[in-house]
Amino acid sequence: MAMIIKRFGATDGWVNMPDGTDHYIFGFVDISGVPENQIFQYRGKATLLAPLLEVYEGDEVYLTLTNLGFPNRADLDDTHTIHWHGFPNQIPLWDGVPEASISVPVGRDFTYYYQPLDPGTYIQHCHFEPVEHIQMGMVGPVTVRPKLEKELGLKFAYNDENTAYDREGLIFLTELDPRPHHLVANVQEFDWTEYSPEYWLINGRSYPDTVKPANDQSMPQQPFSALVEAYQGEKVLLRFVNIGFQQHCLQIPGIPLKVVGLDAQQLRGYNGEDISYWRDVIYIAAGQTMDVIFTAPRAGIYPLYNRNLNKNTIAGTEFGGMVTEIRVTLKP
Amino acid sequence: MLVIDLWAKDGYLSTPDGNSIYFWGFSKSETGPAQLPGPHIVARGGETITVNLHNTLTEPVSISFSGQSGVTAGGQPVQPQYTDGELLSFVNHAEPGSMVAYTFTPSFPGTFIYESGTNPHKQVPMGLYGGLVVRPTDYNPDAREFKTAYGAGTDTEFDREYLLITGEIDPDMHRVAEEGKPYLVSKYLPRYWTLNGRCAPDTMLMDGLDHLPHQPYGSMVMGQPGEKILMRYIGAGIENHPLHPHGTHTRVVAVDGRLLRNENVDLSFKRFTVLVGAGQTYDQIYQWDGLGYTPQNPIPTILPNLRNMGVGDAGWTMWSGSPYLGVKGDIPVGVVSYNEFGEYYFMLHSHEELQITNWGEFPGGMMTMVAIYPSLSPVIGVLE
Repeated sequence: MAMIIKRFGATDGWVNMPDGTDHYIFGFVDISGVPENQIFQYRGKATLLAPLLEVYEGDEVYLTLTNLGFPNRADLDDTHTIHWHGFPNQIPLWDGVPEASISVPVGRDFTYYYQPLDPGTYIQHCHFEPVEHIQMGMVGPVTVRPKLEKELGLKFAYNDENTAYDREGLIFLTELDPRPHHLVANVQEFDWTEYSPEYWLINGRSYPDTVKPANDQSMPQQPFSALVEAYQGEKVLLRFVNIGFQQHCLQIPGIPLKVVGLDAQQLRGYNGEDISYWRDVIYIAAGQTMDVIFTAPRAGIYPLYNRNLNKNTIAGTEFGGMVTEIRVTLKP
Repeated sequence: MLVIDLWAKDGYLSTPDGNSIYFWGFSKSETGPAQLPGPHIVARGGETITVNLHNTLTEPVSISFSGQSGVTAGGQPVQPQYTDGELLSFVNHAEPGSMVAYTFTPSFPGTFIYESGTNPHKQVPMGLYGGLVVRPTDYNPDAREFKTAYGAGTDTEFDREYLLITGEIDPDMHRVAEEGKPYLVSKYLPRYWTLNGRCAPDTMLMDGLDHLPHQPYGSMVMGQPGEKILMRYIGAGIENHPLHPHGTHTRVVAVDGRLLRNENVDLSFKRFTVLVGAGQTYDQIYQWDGLGYTPQNPIPTILPNLRNMGVGDAGWTMWSGSPYLGVKGDIPVGVVSYNEFGEYYFMLHSHEELQITNWGEFPGGMMTMVAIYPSLSPVIGVLE
């Protein structure tokens, strides 16, 4: 068990799509360890996704949220929260629901405490006016690693040797409707019942940007790559997360997928029965996560895309959107 | 033999943003109001049920009992009804001003939907739907091992139970129906989303309120720490909804009234978000155990001065002002708190977040709370 001390700033920023458009976002930025007199340098530098929160089962996590304000919307004094989506037995104080506890005004801090006891794939997001703040980009991944990894020095999704893997990839799904982003940037209201996204994103990017490397300089506020690389024969864990507002169907033709976990719970029955199963299509609803393991087949490029084929587009025209690649090579 | 009389009628729904929406629904009595959803029907497995449907609307109405076999009308198996060779109803219907009697015997326990089978693309979204709960034959609420969803020995014991029925409202459809004009269902665009016929925050109010005569059912889920709270979801709209309860996972024990068990192999599973498909039902057990913090075993972080924090941003809060269950703190002046005894509130909502608005305005729609009280009367969370 370790003590993890992190600090996230809540602020705004801009993201780029492959068609050359840019879109206003709200989001989080990692300011862990930044001296107090320098945190305001991070205003306007929110990233999509939020920084990965990656901890071990049993760790004690102190996560401080600092509301840095919106330099592009100085008039907008929304508060923010962090909701650890799926945290079992949570108490309201650390659950991040403004209507049921505390939220953080501009210029203030609040420290959330978590001691996760169940490994798996979770989500973090702001829960203040969630339809707006989630669509605007205040979302990110949370991974809780099992104790078994430390005991055996290998990688596992859960405390079960049947969930061993060599490499892992994050497939974090969101959509982007440019109209609310444009309206919010221009101090206007959007009727959310008219929600109709035009960009479909994996890890905050639209293909072909999804396969660019992490921290690519062309997308300073979209640091997560969605390219998955493995050697032939290796076991790959994909952590699927859907925090958009739609249901999605992802597939990787040529690669059968073994679903070992749902919503940060290993697929085990009430009495320990193995109820994992095989799928070719990962059908995932908003607010769900799925842990999937596959064995990398013979060397080649395997596209991962949305079988809701209309979502493999950029603003309804070019090929792109919710697509990435699994690149399998021979071990040298 | 259980005999239920339902009257198909019209009425007006109330939404929290002040709208008044014409709808069709079932009523318990000839003189009572149409209601959304229709009256809960609670029966016991093996018990024969007769439902007499009295139609006071101006078009034929029927009831389809999804999940039930051997439903008869007038002693004969129900059959689709055609007018001039065109399908009008999936099952026998009652013409305006007349009545039809359905009889069936549920052969297994579970949660089911009953809904109109006539012009269902219009009549179901207009509100002609309700919930049917079938108890196991050995059900006995006074004996722990027999107070179950699926029978003794099925690991489905519960302490309290709640029915949560999802729906959507496209006000254009309802207005056009009131005016007797045609409606293009292909243009269906909901502006309101409902749990038990109400939009948040009305979902959190109690049952049977005078100012909501057509929407008698609240959706506040209430229980105590460690209790097994049975949540029965029914997808009564024409869309699918991912329902996410905060606080902890639910254990899904049955889908469509079928226990998730294969002989002795338990196939139940835990989720933090359950996608309730149109027409589906999910029976789940929610058990919140907490983290063990009390004033004697305090939290490892400091509660900031609440005047420096956001409390009650929506104009109200459900929070007590304290980190601890059963303790009330100092809520800042000017904030209205609905907290009673220091109970905890956990939001339960559709994660397609546009659905937790009322015509685009948060908070609203398909959202309620799970309330965990330090102690709670046993008469709360009883379905009858």
